[in-house]
Amino acid sequence: MNEISFDIFTQIREFEWEISPDFRSDMQVPVRVFASKSLLQDSLRDRSILQAINVTTLPGLVGAVMVMPDMHQGYGFPIGGVAATDIETGVISPGGIGYDINCGVRLLSSQMSFEEIKDLLSILATTINQYCPSGVGVNSDLSLSKNELADACVKGAKWAKVAGYASQEDVHHTEANGCLEGADPSKVSERALSRGRTQLGTLGGGNHFIEVDIVAQVFDEKAANAMGLHKGMIAAQIHTGSRGFGHQICTDYVRQLQSAVRKYGINLPDKQLVCAPIQCPEGQDYLGAMRCGANYAFLNRQLLANRLREAFEKVLAGKVDNWHLKQVYDIAHNIGKFERHTIDGEEKMVCIHRKGATRAFGPGSEGLPDDFAEIGQPVLVPGSMGTASWVLAGTQLSMERSFGSSCHGAGRVMSRSQAKREVWGEDLLKKLEKEGIEIRAGSMAGLAEEAPQAYKDVDRVVESVVGAGIAKKVAVLHPLIVIKG
Amino acid sequence: MILSGYEEVEHTADIALRVWGEDFFTLLRQSAKGMYELMGILENPGQPMKVIFTIDHGSAEMQLVDFLNEVLYIVENQAGYYDNFTFINTRDGIDVHASGYKIISYQRNIKAVTFHDLEVIETKTRFETTITFDV
Repeated sequence: MNEISFDIFTQIREFEWEISPDFRSDMQVPVRVFASKSLLQDSLRDRSILQAINVTTLPGLVGAVMVMPDMHQGYGFPIGGVAATDIETGVISPGGIGYDINCGVRLLSSQMSFEEIKDLLSILATTINQYCPSGVGVNSDLSLSKNELADACVKGAKWAKVAGYASQEDVHHTEANGCLEGADPSKVSERALSRGRTQLGTLGGGNHFIEVDIVAQVFDEKAANAMGLHKGMIAAQIHTGSRGFGHQICTDYVRQLQSAVRKYGINLPDKQLVCAPIQCPEGQDYLGAMRCGANYAFLNRQLLANRLREAFEKVLAGKVDNWHLKQVYDIAHNIGKFERHTIDGEEKMVCIHRKGATRAFGPGSEGLPDDFAEIGQPVLVPGSMGTASWVLAGTQLSMERSFGSSCHGAGRVMSRSQAKREVWGEDLLKKLEKEGIEIRAGSMAGLAEEAPQAYKDVDRVVESVVGAGIAKKVAVLHPLIVIKG
Repeated sequence: MILSGYEEVEHTADIALRVWGEDFFTLLRQSAKGMYELMGILENPGQPMKVIFTIDHGSAEMQLVDFLNEVLYIVENQAGYYDNFTFINTRDGIDVHASGYKIISYQRNIKAVTFHDLEVIETKTRFETTITFDV
C-alpha cells in the first residue's frame, strides 16, 4: 500500500498542492489541495487525503479532484471535496453529495445596529428558539399532503413564494434561484416523502444552527455594500439541509446503486463511493430524486428564514425603526449540479459534486443576480460555535482553478467523542455567555461536540482560500445569539 | 474473551462503532444496541411494542446496513426501541421479529448508516465489523 505523507505532494503555487495520478495505479486524475503548508500537514492526521485519492478512481472524471483547506475525513468522499465528471461519459455518486443533500447556509442582513438591540438579545434568542423548530426528533408545525410535498420539492423556493413564505428577492438571492430543474418526485420513495412531510421547516440537530451576528469588520466596501453588510450592523445565518427527506433519498440510492456498480463493471476502493453513469437509467433516477432533496432544502431554509423574520418582528417591532431581514444569499455546500466550466481550454458541461464545499462563482458568471454580477457570488463560511464567520466572494481564479468552488466552514479536527471527553457542555455554555453570546441549545452533550476547539481555526482556512485566489474577503461576522438543536 | 459487544471508535466528523458477535445475528443485535447507545435513547418500559420486518437477501454488509437503517427509521417514525430481536432465515431473506418499548426521547440524530469501508469479517470464533454513521 502506498503510504500517504507530505512527500507525495508537489507544490504548484503557494497555497496549491498536487498528488500525481502516478501515485496509485487506479487514479484517473490528480488530487489538487488548496491549503497552507501547515493545514495540509494537519490534514494528514486523518484519512481525508486517502479518501480524495479514492475519489480519483471514479469513471469519467475531468480536471482534478479538488480538496479545500477545511477538509476532514468523511465517508467515501472527504468533506471539502469537489469532483467534476463528464456528463456524457462520467458518473454521479450519491456519496459525493452526501446524506444531507443541499445542506447549506443562508445569510440575511439588516439595517439594525448592535446598539439598537443589545438589551433585547436575550428575549430575541428565546423567541427565535420558540419560533424556529429545532432539535432531535422535533417535527414541523407545517402539514403538507404527499402531493403538496411532491409539488414543493419540484419547485423549491419558488413554491415558498407562491405560498407566501418568500419574496421574489429571496428567490432571486438563492443559488439556482432556489430550484434545480429536473426534480422528479416519482423517483423519491414513499418513506422519504413520509419523513419529509413532518420535517419541512425544521432546523434539526448536530452542527446545524441559527445565528444572529454583528458585522465586525468589512474588508471590501464595494462588495459589502452590494450585499447590504455594514460594520456594526446585525446579520443572521441559517445552517441546515434537507433533513430526513434528503437522508432517506441518499440511503435509498446508495443501496440501489450497489448493484448498478456491478452492472456497469465499475471497480471502487470503497463501497460508499457507489455511483452510476449519468446517462443510464439508474443515474437519471438518482438525479431526479437528488434534485427533489436539493429543492426541499432550499425550501426548508426559506421557511426557517420566514419564522426568523417573524421572531424579529415579534421582539423588535415598535422598538427599532427597521427590524426587517433582507436576504443576502443562500448557498449549498452538499450538492451535485450540471455546470459549464473550461477544462484544458475547452468549455464543457460537467456534473460538479460538492461535498462540504461551496460554489464560488466569480464576477460575470452565469446565474448570479445583477447586484452580484460585478463583485462575484457571496461565499458563506461559518466558523465554529462562538467564533467568527466569514463572508467571501467568488473570483475569476476560482472559475479557472477550482470549478468555481471554495471552502464551506472551519472543518473538524477532533472527533465528537474526544470533544465530549475534553469539554463539559455546561462549562462551555457559561464561557460563551460570559463572552456575551446568548446560547439556546437542546442538549449539553451536543453543545460539547460542537465546541470551538473541535474545529480548525476558520481564519486559517480563509487565509488559504484567499491566498490561493479562489475567494476574496468581504466581511467578518461575530456571533451574538446561537440557536442549536 | 467477551464474545459479543461494541465500542465507539474515533472518527473526525461522524461516528464509528466497532461491533463483534459469535454469529451474524448476534452481530446485528449488538449493532442495534450500539446504535441506540450512540443516539442516547431514553425508553419508557411501560409501553411494550412489537414489530416484524424483512431484510432482503444480499451480502452481509448490505443486510447489516438494511437492518440498521430499518431500526433507525423505526426510532424516528414510530418512536420504537427494540432490545429483543429474533431472526429467522427465510426464502425471501431474514425475518426480524422485535419487541421493545416506546421512546421518550433521544439525544442524537443519526442521518444514516454508511457503507464506508464496511466489511463484515468472519473469523474462527466470531463476526466483526466497523460501521460508520453519518451524524
